[in-house]
Amino acid sequence: MIVIQFVISMIATMAFAILFCAPRNEWLLCGLSGAIGWIVYYVMFHHNLGLVLSTTVATFMLTIFSRTLAVIRKQPATVYLLSGIFPLVPGAGIYYTAYYLITGESALCYSKGMETCEIAVSIVFGILFAFAIPQSWLNKLYGKF
Amino acid sequence: MAYTKEILTLAVEIGDEMLRNGAEIYRVEDTVIHILKAYEIEEFDVYVLSNGIFASANENKEDACSMIRHIPLGAVNLDKISALNQLTRDICEQQCALTDAWTRLDECRSLPQPAKWLRVLCCGIGSGGFAYLFGGGVVDLFFAFLIGMLLQLLMFAQSQQKMARFAKSLFYSMFVTALSLIPLMAGVPVMQDKIVIGAIMPLVPGIAFTTSIRDFYNGDYLSGTIHLIDALMTALCIAAGVGIVILIYQALKGGIL
Repeated sequence: MIVIQFVISMIATMAFAILFCAPRNEWLLCGLSGAIGWIVYYVMFHHNLGLVLSTTVATFMLTIFSRTLAVIRKQPATVYLLSGIFPLVPGAGIYYTAYYLITGESALCYSKGMETCEIAVSIVFGILFAFAIPQSWLNKLYGKF
Repeated sequence: MAYTKEILTLAVEIGDEMLRNGAEIYRVEDTVIHILKAYEIEEFDVYVLSNGIFASANENKEDACSMIRHIPLGAVNLDKISALNQLTRDICEQQCALTDAWTRLDECRSLPQPAKWLRVLCCGIGSGGFAYLFGGGVVDLFFAFLIGMLLQLLMFAQSQQKMARFAKSLFYSMFVTALSLIPLMAGVPVMQDKIVIGAIMPLVPGIAFTTSIRDFYNGDYLSGTIHLIDALMTALCIAAGVGIVILIYQALKGGIL
């Protein structure tokens, strides 16, 4: 099950990386960064660790991975981060909030709206924590490459 | 005398191109500063916003010059950002004369985008994949794949038209939701919500949101706010598009039954 999730999230992220004109040699790595974020989220969420924690940790791992790749491949981290973030972005939340608003189920609409905001805030924290790690540490760690 | 001006123009042009293709503020500012330093300009000031660059060099000397650029928010092109990044690296390592830099900048500008058929296919694959990841079945994956491809085709058809960005998001999300109702009405056993969620993924403002966070992190609050509002407005428009279509559908269904 996890393998299928990994492969599909990788393919989907890669497809999006191509839409954003990622450099040809980085397509696979962009896909990999998306898959890593999604798998961390998926495993944590299914172990009942909660939406906020799962999203934060997944975003954190994904951002660290992007920054590491950036050093190794001499590319801007943006290339991997912008592609890889997509599986975590709350597209579903936007849909359900709108849906329940229209169908008049205000309690569900409220909870989905809050959930969407929670995911967004979790992504913010994940990225902030990961960028708080100094660049020089990463450079040192991967300086040999 | 014209020398300072040429260097500043090059630096600002490279910054302009990076910003236009979706680089974050800090990177653009850093790039312009590094290029100016590499060509031995000591006195300068650079200020970059999400949609503008202000730069001046050698203000207290005879060849003082300054430059302002207005850059509208646009689509992201990671390939160009990456190529410009490499160009900047080479300039900073003194491996690139001024005239070569101009040629290479032109090369970066004319980097080809992936072929249209590939982008249509990718939009479909991405939509289908996300429909599956968010809990859809294989049938939902298939329909999201089809709708995703149609969405990209519609985007190509619309790309010439001058429509506000928000109007486009609204229109596209209505289009996607309306199409997703077709298999539902035809009686195919689908989860219509998963199809829509997959197919709106190409519209979701993940990039604007991420860029906004990074701008805030680097202390560029104004630019961060611009991108954040862009992301919020796009999200609202997507939600409105979904809402409008479902409202009409329910009204029609209620009327017929």
